[in-house]
Amino acid sequence: MIRSGADSPTLVLQQSPRPGVMVVLWRVCSVLRGAPLFSLAFLTLAIGGAVLAPRVAPYDPIQNNPLATLSPPSWQYLMGTDHLGRDILSRVIYGARISLTVGFLAVFVSGVAGTVIAMVSGVVKGWVDTVLMRLTDAFLSLPYLMVAVTVVSLLGPSLVNVILVIGLLRWMTYARTIRGEVLRLTETDFVRLAHVAGTTRVGIIQRHILPNIVNTLLVLSTLDVASAVITEASLSFLGLGVPRPLPSWGTMLSESQTYVFTAWWMPVFPGVTITLLVMSINFTGDWLRDRLDPTRRQL
Amino acid sequence: MGYYIVKRVGQGIVTLWLVTLGVFALLRLTGDPLSFLLPPDATKEDREYMIAAYGLNKPLWQQYLVFNKNLMAGRFGESLRFNSRDALEVFLSRLPATLQLTCTAMVLSLVFGVVLGVLSAIHPDTLFDRVGKALAILGQSMPVFWVGILLILLFTVYLGWLPSAGGIERLGLKGLILPSVTLGWLFVAAHMRIVRSSMLDALDADYIKMVRAKGMPRRIVIWKHALKNAAIPIFTLFAVNFAQLISGAVVTETIFAWPGVGRLLVDSIFVRDYTVVQAVVFFSAAFIVVINIVVDVTYAWLDPRIRIAG
Repeated sequence: MIRSGADSPTLVLQQSPRPGVMVVLWRVCSVLRGAPLFSLAFLTLAIGGAVLAPRVAPYDPIQNNPLATLSPPSWQYLMGTDHLGRDILSRVIYGARISLTVGFLAVFVSGVAGTVIAMVSGVVKGWVDTVLMRLTDAFLSLPYLMVAVTVVSLLGPSLVNVILVIGLLRWMTYARTIRGEVLRLTETDFVRLAHVAGTTRVGIIQRHILPNIVNTLLVLSTLDVASAVITEASLSFLGLGVPRPLPSWGTMLSESQTYVFTAWWMPVFPGVTITLLVMSINFTGDWLRDRLDPTRRQL
Repeated sequence: MGYYIVKRVGQGIVTLWLVTLGVFALLRLTGDPLSFLLPPDATKEDREYMIAAYGLNKPLWQQYLVFNKNLMAGRFGESLRFNSRDALEVFLSRLPATLQLTCTAMVLSLVFGVVLGVLSAIHPDTLFDRVGKALAILGQSMPVFWVGILLILLFTVYLGWLPSAGGIERLGLKGLILPSVTLGWLFVAAHMRIVRSSMLDALDADYIKMVRAKGMPRRIVIWKHALKNAAIPIFTLFAVNFAQLISGAVVTETIFAWPGVGRLLVDSIFVRDYTVVQAVVFFSAAFIVVINIVVDVTYAWLDPRIRIAG
């Protein structure tokens, strides 16, 4: 550091295009201004826990331990153990894996399905649009948890089926909202000009419409992860979700019902976790919406 | 108006047709329908009777016609679990319990949601408003079944005030409290937020300033003039909420052993009583469709702009 004074001119020249540490920090801070820090921290914790579950979980989540059934929270078992002596903390950590996997993948399925339908509907228009929107209305008025449990039971409960069923029953919000956006965009001058210039429909979608709906899509899908997580837990709670002994939070809460009179820690900890996760996702989604919506943005 | 009603009813019929198509396709495409419709210990005669009744030896399109014919006549088939009672009959016998639960929950959530929403709108940014907002966020983030378990933990296990399982026949009105609070909780939050924001808009409108300028007491301005206009968005959301209410009822009935349609569905799935499952899904969908039509038509009647926009 002391010697750097001699060749400082070249150093400055080389470093000038790269922002300094303080500048990077400042940029990060300004991006995060008004961000729900607690929510982002909890989300990071949940995703980190889910990814690193085998490393951070203190015990095996499905290993029974007949010597430690229903033991209350202690230093050995921070969240206590369940009726089979399994460590609840470890099950909660592994449960994050299932919840987040189902949450993200189901949202991916419904996002893709909804966007495709919205694109076709908004770009082709005419009777195709009418048919697709009637279909959307029809799906919206389904008793959707009832349909979900029925379909899962017919196909057989498994992680993949749960993801597909949740995804394919929830694309309607995307179809509706994004179709509106597409209709608005197709009326704009730049899309009309592209059309006049001879760009194909596919080209217009790729180059002009998709980039403009990314923000909407991002906000919608963030908020939707929360409801997908709740739906997965509901299905597992009813016994028609992720099959046992996989530690889904819904399954844990369902099992806790029998022991609610003796072991308060069995329902409380998984429930708190799922509530915090859903809340964090919702806050993050709201924040993203405020950041990405140009009319609401105040930088 | 007449055209609008016809159009909405037409849409409703299309929806129901899609539901039946879905049920038909799922039962046929996921393997042998007989394995869903018959108990595992069914005799050869049973199987032959079933094949004849549903036309299972005919081509697929004919099977679909038979299926629709049975549907039109309200014949879903016999329940395996309930001594071969008709599936429709089983469904109807469970309907009152579900209606008790959902209606109580809805009324609870409307009363609390509207009162809390109005109060936080007339005292914006006070402690009351903040607590209300926090509660609303909690309400939207807590899964129904966890709320139910927590209520049982508090009121049944620790305080011992209220029973946790049964139905209205066995427990009387006391048994209705926990389930309906569990189910209504989610909607209190939703209603409160809507009423608050639309109430803030309404209080800002010119006609309210006018009424106040005329010297009308504040109480009447708020609860009569402003609330009337602020309440409209609740009805818009009612249709969406209703589908959610039915979903919530499935979970709530399971927690509290409530003898309603939702629990019937889950129990029937576990004993593979698919004739009843079909009936429950179909009639619940029909119920939602009818409610949606009624809400939309009422709404169009109240607000002429909707009829014209179609």
